[in-house]
Amino acid sequence: MVELIDEPVDVSTHGVFNWILLLTIFSVITVIGNFIGYGHPLADSFIGMGILALITLIGVWLERKLPLDISSIIYISVIGIFIAFPGVPTSETVLYYVSKVELLSIVTVFLAYVGIGMGKSWDEFKALGWRAIIVTMLVIASTYFGSAIVAHIVLVMTGVPA
Amino acid sequence: MFIHVGWEWVIISDETNQVNHIYREKTDKRILKKNPWKDYRLHATVLLLVVVAELIGPIKIPLSESVEVSIMPLLYAMVLGLIFYLAKPIFWIGRKQARIAEGAMMLFIGVLIAKLAVSSGQSIHLIFEMGPALLLQELGHLATLLIALPVAILLGFKREAIGMTNSIGREPEVGIVVDKYGFNSPESRGVFALFIIGTIIGTVFISFLASLSTSLLPLHPYAFAMASGVGSASMNAAALGPTLAAFPALETNIEAFAGFSNLLSFSFSLYIVIFIALPLTEKLYYILEPKLGRNHKKGSDSTDDDMASNGGN
Repeated sequence: MVELIDEPVDVSTHGVFNWILLLTIFSVITVIGNFIGYGHPLADSFIGMGILALITLIGVWLERKLPLDISSIIYISVIGIFIAFPGVPTSETVLYYVSKVELLSIVTVFLAYVGIGMGKSWDEFKALGWRAIIVTMLVIASTYFGSAIVAHIVLVMTGVPA
Repeated sequence: MFIHVGWEWVIISDETNQVNHIYREKTDKRILKKNPWKDYRLHATVLLLVVVAELIGPIKIPLSESVEVSIMPLLYAMVLGLIFYLAKPIFWIGRKQARIAEGAMMLFIGVLIAKLAVSSGQSIHLIFEMGPALLLQELGHLATLLIALPVAILLGFKREAIGMTNSIGREPEVGIVVDKYGFNSPESRGVFALFIIGTIIGTVFISFLASLSTSLLPLHPYAFAMASGVGSASMNAAALGPTLAAFPALETNIEAFAGFSNLLSFSFSLYIVIFIALPLTEKLYYILEPKLGRNHKKGSDSTDDDMASNGGN
């Protein structure tokens, strides 16, 4: 914990190197899962993952290099939206390869890491008790339904066909 | 350990005074120091989990003739990951691997966001058309304080209830609550509890909700897509699985709306929490607590005697 305070956060080439290797590992696992689960060709989906990994890399790099206080999520979203924007020269290539990678394949790998990572919180979870669990479930359910119902009403009022 | 979770938050928010940096600092620490790619046992295990999960494939459980719950591979991968961590015989997945997984995961969120962004870019004209729905559904998040807050008070929570029910309690909201009330406040204890429980059960629970409601409720497919973006990136993903399965023809649009809604949850809805949800939760708490709250202290959730009586800042 203390290490969080006194070590400067400095992203060297060493850091970028680590990111690239991690993203490569992630891409390889995703492509294998994508092949088993959905049968997409390995080479095409690997290029697709390469594009997504590159966007991620640029996003996290910009977050740390630019003096602005903007999260990498925003950079990544803007880059992703831009290169897929209809009419932009990259659009067709990007869409072709990225569509070979199913969202759910990425998510499956991501959640496998999440599962292992959340193991750390298991003891606290057990200590919290059933009342807190009930409240949490209610919070999630009411947020989900609140959002769905408001969205539905607005969609119907603005006449959006299903 | 409970303290530990919060401690990191408070250090970071004191140091930089900014909520957004939590991911960044944590990720950098883990990724820069430990050469995380070297931990081949972690990555080989993940590969194994993913292969097993994809080989099993989605399982559909019919609850009645028209209601069907589908369990997606992403859930097995996650639950198996948790089991691998907890199971004693699997000695090669321990605390160190969990820390690396956590750090790596924060980098991998980027890939998920990138995929959603590409879908959004492709459907950008639709997103502009659906602008009102996308923005207004963020207000739907306020349902939580109307429904969950009274129940929390009835269950005997005191000011913890304010932290627990103002929002869905993902990273940005935890930051807001800690920032506003201080790390040792009951409100912060409440939001930490919400955060931890949400981390463990949130993904499974929202996937179940999405699966059940897409087959039960006659709402617009895009409404389900937008609702799946209410929580964290993993909750978004877990809710998307059954939604995509229920409306396969609308895949790209559903991904686009879910992604955009999730992006709004992490940006725009922060301001809803700061300026509307949190003050409103507080007001409602001081109205409801004297009527519904238990007078005597019960359980360990309320530790300070004075906290119910002298609030109202």
